[in-house]
Amino acid sequence: MRLLKLCTTMAAALVVAGAASAASPPVKIGISLSLTGDFADPGKAAQRGYQLWAAEINKAGGLLGRQVEIKVVDDASSPDQVVTNYQNLITQDKVDIVFGPFSSLLTIPSARVAKRYGYAFIEPAGGGPKVFQQHLDNLFFVQPAPVVKGGDVFADYILALPADQRPKTAAYAKLDDPFAAPIADYVKGRFEAAGIKTVYDQTYPSESADLTPIVSGIAAANPDVVVSGTQSSDAFAQVKAMIQLKFNPKWLFMSNGANSPTEFPDKVGAKNTEGVFSSSDWYPDSPVAGNKEFIAAYIAMYGGSAADIDSTSAEAYSAGMILEEVAKKTGSIDNATIIKTLHNGAWHTLVGDLSWDADGAPNGEYLLVQWIGGKMLLVYPASVAQHPPIAPKPAWGG
Amino acid sequence: MPWSLHALVQAVILGVLTGGVYALMASGQTLIFGIMKVVNLAQAAFVVLAAYLTYSLFTLAGIDPFLSILITTPILFAVGVAIQWTLLRVLRPEDAAELSLLVTFAAALGLEGLLELVYNTTFRSIQPGYENFSWTVLGYQVNMVRFFAFLLSLTMLGLLYLILHRTKFGRAVRATVQNPMSAQLLGVNPQRVAALGFGLGAATAAAAGAIFGLISPFNPGSHYDLISRLLTIVVLGGLGSIGGSIIAALVMGVGSAVVAALASPIWSDFAFFVVLLLVLLLRPRGLFGARVRGAI
Repeated sequence: MRLLKLCTTMAAALVVAGAASAASPPVKIGISLSLTGDFADPGKAAQRGYQLWAAEINKAGGLLGRQVEIKVVDDASSPDQVVTNYQNLITQDKVDIVFGPFSSLLTIPSARVAKRYGYAFIEPAGGGPKVFQQHLDNLFFVQPAPVVKGGDVFADYILALPADQRPKTAAYAKLDDPFAAPIADYVKGRFEAAGIKTVYDQTYPSESADLTPIVSGIAAANPDVVVSGTQSSDAFAQVKAMIQLKFNPKWLFMSNGANSPTEFPDKVGAKNTEGVFSSSDWYPDSPVAGNKEFIAAYIAMYGGSAADIDSTSAEAYSAGMILEEVAKKTGSIDNATIIKTLHNGAWHTLVGDLSWDADGAPNGEYLLVQWIGGKMLLVYPASVAQHPPIAPKPAWGG
Repeated sequence: MPWSLHALVQAVILGVLTGGVYALMASGQTLIFGIMKVVNLAQAAFVVLAAYLTYSLFTLAGIDPFLSILITTPILFAVGVAIQWTLLRVLRPEDAAELSLLVTFAAALGLEGLLELVYNTTFRSIQPGYENFSWTVLGYQVNMVRFFAFLLSLTMLGLLYLILHRTKFGRAVRATVQNPMSAQLLGVNPQRVAALGFGLGAATAAAAGAIFGLISPFNPGSHYDLISRLLTIVVLGGLGSIGGSIIAALVMGVGSAVVAALASPIWSDFAFFVVLLLVLLLRPRGLFGARVRGAI
């Protein structure tokens, strides 16, 4: 009797599921990504994350029983094109959901388009201050904290040192970019409040391919700690210049570029990475629930190894996870419901459990990583550290 | 801001060495302009192409970047000749000067696209192991690669001078520049001279590319920033004057480095443009620009 009941329930469920997939059209998700231009590489990394999430959820029966269909259009890294793209996706393709593009530069105008049409804007790669200064309630940044706080965890570590072991002087060298300079400025604010003297503070434009003159200015000021607000190639150029000028600070923190597991050792030489600090939200060894499955699925779909996975892919995948959780919780993928729901509670992703303030800025903190023995290891906070932080920094090439 | 003699001297050293690298890049640019009155917007793309070739020769075959200049120079020469022959030769002489801007820019975009297809947009750098080595001289750091680059650019510029002044081809080039009609009457084939001259200009990018790849990370889009620098150097030096472009490159190198190290990196390019504007206001043909058409 019980068996019969089970069978009928299952049959009924199958019918419902069958009816749902036959009757309901796929969930269309529109995304503008930089497949060409300056952001082409991270843009493609984001695309891999989104596509992987869609493939996984479709394998598991879809979103609320509907298959997910992702439409990616190229914005060539242009803030003008990205606006046109989202407008077309929403008004012409009539997508159900939109996810964010790559970089703050492109997120800022596109989030406004989404807001105008009442769409939720879950975005994995726009965390500069101007993104949140728009005060949009439909925006949710899928990383642990706003980008300006990328160096906060380094300040935590330094300021937790006993007073006699702390650096006395600091230099700040930063790229003129909303994604880079504010990180160093934020650390500077905390260091100055704690009495660490600023002996050098300069911003350089993105055209400065050669950073040797800047580093020669830093070397002349001879600070204990260097905090670099870097993006990618400028981090490599700073390291090269420091080696050439034989300048080795006791602590060196670089916001981005130095946290790329494959690119950084490749560009500056593996032996020159030793002791450099950076911060990160996702790395292959992360113990977060679902990470192992994500890595296995990623390798099955794209090949390579865990070390080849860009954190942007994990962040884009996490955007999908959030949508999935909202759908599960509310039984709806209506944009107004998504926006309302996400403003409460914490949401599990590959970059930790996320919650947001009213402007979409996440309330968490990044993790401090340091290059030790050729590997990027988690060194702070101590509760999750894989290795204690090393200071002073070993000599270049040593 | 630390304003000490030591910092100033170090910045000047950096500037002179960097200026030498730019002089090498700009020499091809000014040569091509001198011969054909073509502002070659693809010159920086040639440099980036050469950097990638050097990168591949080093990573795939283990050939030293300085040694690979011997291989890349003929390749770049051939690329230059091919581009001149297929794209520039067909322009009508009346509007060649204007159209060549568009054509060479198109060539630059084409090269950039091709490099993106082959190498992606990831930044690359050539790392033979000595790329960051510096000598300490009296407490100042002198980077070895930049020092050799400086010597190399002087050598290349010397070779260019010899080619232009001591060979039959050089005489044909200069004759074509001064008076194409008479040169033709005397048996010089201007088409051939133009193609070879363009090739020669492109060939100088081979050495420049190897050095560029050693001193800074690059990707296919790197040519935009480079070309704007090369153009300002060539304009400051006087279009068509190789000697002028060397002086201009040094002025830019030292000026930028000193301003960046002692004042602010934000002002370093601006300072150079101020110098450029002043020179153009007082001396519209540039520091060493030819008064008569075509004196190289």
